[in-house]
Amino acid sequence: MTIRIYWQLDVAAENGRSEPTERPRYQPVIRDIRTASINRYDYYAQIARAAALTGFDGLFVAHRTDADDSQIVAAAVARSAPRLTIIPEFPASVGSAVYAAKQAVSFQRLAHERLGWAIAPDADAATRARGADLVAEDDLIARTEEFLIVARGVHGERPFSHKGRFFEVEGGGFEAPLNRVAFPKVFLRGTSEEALALSARHADVHLFDDAPIDELRGHIEALDRLALKEGRNLDYGILQPLVARETGEEASEAHERGLAGSYDEIADRLAELAALGINHFILGAEPGFEEAYRIGQFVLPRLRARVAPARAA
Amino acid sequence: MSIDFYWRLPTHGCHASVRRGSYDRGDWSPLAPGNQAPGLTADGEDDGYRYIDHLAEIAKAAEVSGFIGGLIPSFPNTDDPWVISPLLARETKSFRFMIAFQPGFLNPVQAARLSASLQRATGGRTVYNIITGGGGPSQLWWGDSFSHDDRYGRTTEFLDVLKGVWKDQDFSYDGRFYKVEHGGLPPLLGREEIPEIWFSGSSDAALQSAAKHADYYLSWLEPFDQLTDKFARVKERTAALGGEQKCAVRVDLVARATEEEAWRDIRIGFENVSDETRARWRGQPTDSVGAARQAALKPTEAKRYEELIVAPNLWGGFNLLRGGPALGIVGSYEQCAAKLDELIARGTDAFILAGTPHLEEAYRVGEEVLPLLGRKAETLLQAAE
Repeated sequence: MTIRIYWQLDVAAENGRSEPTERPRYQPVIRDIRTASINRYDYYAQIARAAALTGFDGLFVAHRTDADDSQIVAAAVARSAPRLTIIPEFPASVGSAVYAAKQAVSFQRLAHERLGWAIAPDADAATRARGADLVAEDDLIARTEEFLIVARGVHGERPFSHKGRFFEVEGGGFEAPLNRVAFPKVFLRGTSEEALALSARHADVHLFDDAPIDELRGHIEALDRLALKEGRNLDYGILQPLVARETGEEASEAHERGLAGSYDEIADRLAELAALGINHFILGAEPGFEEAYRIGQFVLPRLRARVAPARAA
Repeated sequence: MSIDFYWRLPTHGCHASVRRGSYDRGDWSPLAPGNQAPGLTADGEDDGYRYIDHLAEIAKAAEVSGFIGGLIPSFPNTDDPWVISPLLARETKSFRFMIAFQPGFLNPVQAARLSASLQRATGGRTVYNIITGGGGPSQLWWGDSFSHDDRYGRTTEFLDVLKGVWKDQDFSYDGRFYKVEHGGLPPLLGREEIPEIWFSGSSDAALQSAAKHADYYLSWLEPFDQLTDKFARVKERTAALGGEQKCAVRVDLVARATEEEAWRDIRIGFENVSDETRARWRGQPTDSVGAARQAALKPTEAKRYEELIVAPNLWGGFNLLRGGPALGIVGSYEQCAAKLDELIARGTDAFILAGTPHLEEAYRVGEEVLPLLGRKAETLLQAAE
C-alpha cells in the first residue's frame, strides 16, 4: 500500500507569528528594517516549503473561521512549493457548487493538478448564522451531497442539468480545455451514520480523527460494507496531531494534546494505522514550521521504512 | 484629481498578434509548435509551463510599465480570478488584482473572508469588478436562476452584508436574499481595507445598486457623445440617490508609431476573421442592456474594415478580433493619447486598457502612450470650465 503523508498548515495556530503588527518591538538602538509587506503569508509559504523539502507529499490547509481563508492560502503558497499536493479544507456553505468547481478546475489547470478538496464538518447553528448560512440543521448532509453532485456534474458532463433543493443548473458543464483536468480528490469526515453513508457515496478519502485502534477498525469495516453496496472503493486517512521528541520522556513532558512519543514510537503507531488500511496521514504539530522539519526529518523516514516491507509482502 | 490606468489579464488565452485569431498562448487551441504556456519541447513534449506562467509575465509587464493593476475577467470558459490572484500574489509587487465576479455565486460572509485574506496576502491589492450577470442561458449555466432585477437586488444585499461583517464585529442583517446573526470578520482580517468597487450595468436597477455601493462606474467604450451622456446620467442619477460615482472606461487600443501601421494591422486582422467567428458573435441572446447597446454597431455585417470606422481613430470591429466590446481606439501613439485625453476631459476618472498581444502591448502602451497623456487633458478640462 502506498502511503501519502501531508503536513497540516493551521492558519489559526500561533496567530501572532509573522504578523507585522504583532512583532516584538526592538530597543531603538537596534535597527529593524522589516516592512509590512513581510507578513504572515511569508510564514505560510515557508511552512509549505518546509513540508516540500522534508519529504511530505502534500499540505492540508485547515478551515478556521477566525483566520485566513484556506483556499486563498492554498493558492498563495502553491507556486512556492511546486510539487506538493495542496488540500484546502472548506465548508459546503461557500456558495455556488458550479463556481466552486470552476475554481477547482482553474487550480488544477494552473497548478499541475495538485488540488484536493476537504469538506469541513458542518459548524454549529450559531456559527452558521454568523456566516449567512440559512440551511437547516437536518438538511446539512443533503446540502453537502448536492454540492458534490453538482460540482462533479459540471466537471464531468456536458450538458449537465440539475434541479435540486439547493442548486439549480441548466445546460451546464465545462468545455475544453477546462474539462481536461481531473476533479480534485474529495476528503470527507465524520463518524455519524449519515456521515459514513455520505462518504460511502461520495468520498475519495474518508478522514478520521485520532481514536483507539479498535474504534477505527470498526468504522473502517462499517464504511467498507457501505461502500461495497454502492459499488465504490475508498481510501482512509487520519488527522493526527503529534508530539514527537527524541525520547518518549521528553515527549510526555510536552503537555499537549495528541499522540506523544519518541520518533520510533510515533512511527510504530502510524505504521499500525497503515496496517489497518489507513494510507493518508495528515500530521500536525506546533509550532508548524519547526515541527515540519523535525517530523519530516525524523518521523517520516522511520514510518516509510516500516510501511515499505508490508508493501513488499 | 488623478487618473488610474489598469491593464487586462486575458483569462481565455491570448494571440501572438492582433492580425490573427488563433489562441496560441494558453491551451485554448491544440498544442502546436510556437504555442506558449504550454509550449512544446524539442522532443515534441508538453514543456510543463501553464497559462498562469504567461499571466504572471503580463502582470509583471503591466506593473513595471506603469499600470496600477489589471482586470481579470470571468466567463464560462476562462480561468477564475479568485484562483489567479492568490497564485500571483507573491510574484508581483504593486499590481492590483481587479477580480471580476458575480456576487450571487459566493456566500457574502465567505466572500468577505476570501477578500480580506487576499488583501493580507497582497498588501491590499484587491479590487472588485462586480458583475451582475449578462443573463440568458449563461446565467443558468452558472447555476443562477434569478431574474435580471432580482440579481441587482441581490447584489445590493450582498454588498450590504460584505461591508457589514467587514466593518462591524457584531453585524446582523435580515434581507430578502441574505440573513446574518452576529457576524463579523476576525480582527486581523477586519482591519484590512474593503476593496474598491467597480460596477457595471446600464439599467435603472444597476444604477440604484451602484449609487449605494460602487466607487467606480465602469462602461465599455461607446461613441464619445453617447458615453458622455451616459456618464452624466450615471453621476446625476446616483447623486440623486445619495451616491457619488467616478466613471471608468474599458477600451482596447491598437497603438503604433504611425497611424498607417495601426490601420494596416486592423485591416489584416479584419480580413482574417473567419465566417465561423462572425456567426458566433452574431445575435447572442442576452438580457444585458450594455450588450444590446454594443450590438447596435453591427460589426458582423461589414464587408470592409473601413465601414466600421465610427469616428476618427475609433473602430467598431474589435469584437471580431477577440471576445468583448466592439469599439476601440486605433492610431499613432499621439492619436491614441489624444483620444484618451479627450475621454478624461469628458469625465473619465479611470481606464482599463488592453491590446493584443497583452504581454508586449503592456510594455508598448506603458512606454509610448501613457507618457503622452495628461497635458492635453488639462487644457481640455480648463476649456470645459
